[in-house]
Amino acid sequence: MAPRIFSRLTRKKKQRVLQRHSLKGSYDAVIIGGGLHGLATAYFLAKERGMTDVAVIERRYIGFGGSGRNTAIVRANQRTKENLPLYAEGLELWPKLTDELDFNLMFFNCGNLNLAHSEAALGSMRLLVASAQFHGIKSEILDAKQCKEIVPILDISDRLTYPIMGGMYHPPGGTVRHDAVVWGLAQGVTNHGVHIHQGTEVTGINVHKGRVVSVETDKGAISTPLVLNAAGGYSTLISAMVGIQLPIHVLTIQAMVTQPLKPILHHVVSSGGYHCYANQTLKGEIATGAHMDPWPNYTTDVSAHYIKHQAEALTELMPCLKGVKFMRSWAGLADMTPDMAPIIDGNDHIQGYFMDCGWGYFGFKSGAVIGKYMAEFMATGRYPDRLAPFTLRRYEDHRLMGEIANPVNYGPWN
Amino acid sequence: MSLTITCPICGQRNGYEFRFGGEERGPRPDEEDLTHEQWCDYVHMRTNIGGIQREWWYHRDGCGSWFTIRRDTLTNLEVEGPEET
Ligand SMILES: Cc1cc2nc3c(=O)[nH]c(=O)nc-3n(C[C@H](O)[C@H](O)[C@H](O)COP(=O)(O)OP(=O)(O)OC[C@H]3O[C@@H](n4cnc5c(N)ncnc54)[C@H](O)[C@@H]3O)c2cc1C
Ligand SMILES: [Zn+2]
Repeated sequence: MAPRIFSRLTRKKKQRVLQRHSLKGSYDAVIIGGGLHGLATAYFLAKERGMTDVAVIERRYIGFGGSGRNTAIVRANQRTKENLPLYAEGLELWPKLTDELDFNLMFFNCGNLNLAHSEAALGSMRLLVASAQFHGIKSEILDAKQCKEIVPILDISDRLTYPIMGGMYHPPGGTVRHDAVVWGLAQGVTNHGVHIHQGTEVTGINVHKGRVVSVETDKGAISTPLVLNAAGGYSTLISAMVGIQLPIHVLTIQAMVTQPLKPILHHVVSSGGYHCYANQTLKGEIATGAHMDPWPNYTTDVSAHYIKHQAEALTELMPCLKGVKFMRSWAGLADMTPDMAPIIDGNDHIQGYFMDCGWGYFGFKSGAVIGKYMAEFMATGRYPDRLAPFTLRRYEDHRLMGEIANPVNYGPWN
Repeated sequence: MSLTITCPICGQRNGYEFRFGGEERGPRPDEEDLTHEQWCDYVHMRTNIGGIQREWWYHRDGCGSWFTIRRDTLTNLEVEGPEET
């Protein structure tokens, strides 16, 4: 009988996924931020670099930041030669990580379709497709009819305010379950003996003679020679602790889901023209995201403005969604840089201080692969070639990255 | 919480009528002897404070004025009253 089985199961001694540890007075490395980037770095430090005396310090709980709030879209169809190979490697990592962590990350490579509503957008997509193909990444241009063939619920008529003229289709992208990545990595690092301290806030970083010596927290000080700033939307506040200014401003970005529907949308669809992107989750909800309020804001409040905007955009592009109800909406912080590319740097100005931030609204897809390279950087002290283009110094050298000059990418659809 | 902004000409209005113009970073630096670092500082760097800052706004869907207000980035609310010194 069902109730008996249930009680037998609950009587079994519960094993916590996350073990609690007391905060030690010293660690070989301290990672600030229990998001995907911090956890992935800790994981690869332990697994590939043999550094297990590591603490991940998280002010709230793991996944509290963007890592637990994003719309889970992954893809590798960026614009520049610095970004493309990195994201392509990131995409290939999800199935491997699923095996390694023995945790179902629910990678669903359903493909991404990016819609063009003008000749200019199509032109820029041609450049993107050519760049992707040059790097061996699958990406192609579709005309409006072909868009409709793969996403039958699209309206390709001229009734739209901005009719669909074609699109860019990127088959290997899709979605990965964001909480699963956070929990899978947390379990992975814990299994390697790394300590995760939730509910612990970093309040200061002490530097002596140009080197990091310790980190202050509200639970006590920790001496350590290596610190990583992986605080996402809060990274400029951490950076200010060591007196380094960043070209980052933090914006609130909102997302929402509809009530669950039977399967009708089998790809990630995005539209720069409508500032809207959507995909159907495995639970059946249409998950959709919008543009950001373009002023600095540390709140995670939602606004009626975007609920209305999403409803209008979605029902123009996919009229069958008319009358479907939104069920939940939420917001998170996006740490935006002027060139839509992250800042990944370390051992500059201050020895032992590393940063991995400025990921805006696109840092979920890259989290795991950056963790791998960041771990190499922190463990060896050598700046990996893959990361070096993302130096903070590019701004004073006037070598901003070309991701912002990407007309189809002027809106936050992942 | 939705943002409202007080325009010196039109009064308190819905925040979506305005365009954000950046945090106040003092006057544009003199171009003579300007170093790359100083220029980068002025153009790209941000304090991105968690707290109250003075910042620029443009009344785009209104009278077209540029002006500064003080706002708390932790509450997303305009802050009244004079600056504390
Ligand atoms: C609504 C939304 C949709 C998005 N959609 C996508 C998408 O589809 N695809 C994509 O690739 N990206 C997306 N992103 C972006 C992505 O979520 C982020 O770039 C990514 O999660 C950043 O990860 P992180 O580990 O760097 O930071 P976070 O996950 O933000 O983690 C930082 C952590 O640091 C902690 N912290 C802060 N200050 C302190 C302190 N003083 N002491 C200790 N801990 C501290 C915070 O509590 C937080 O948990 C989206 C973001 C949002 C908000
Ligand atoms: Zn006005």
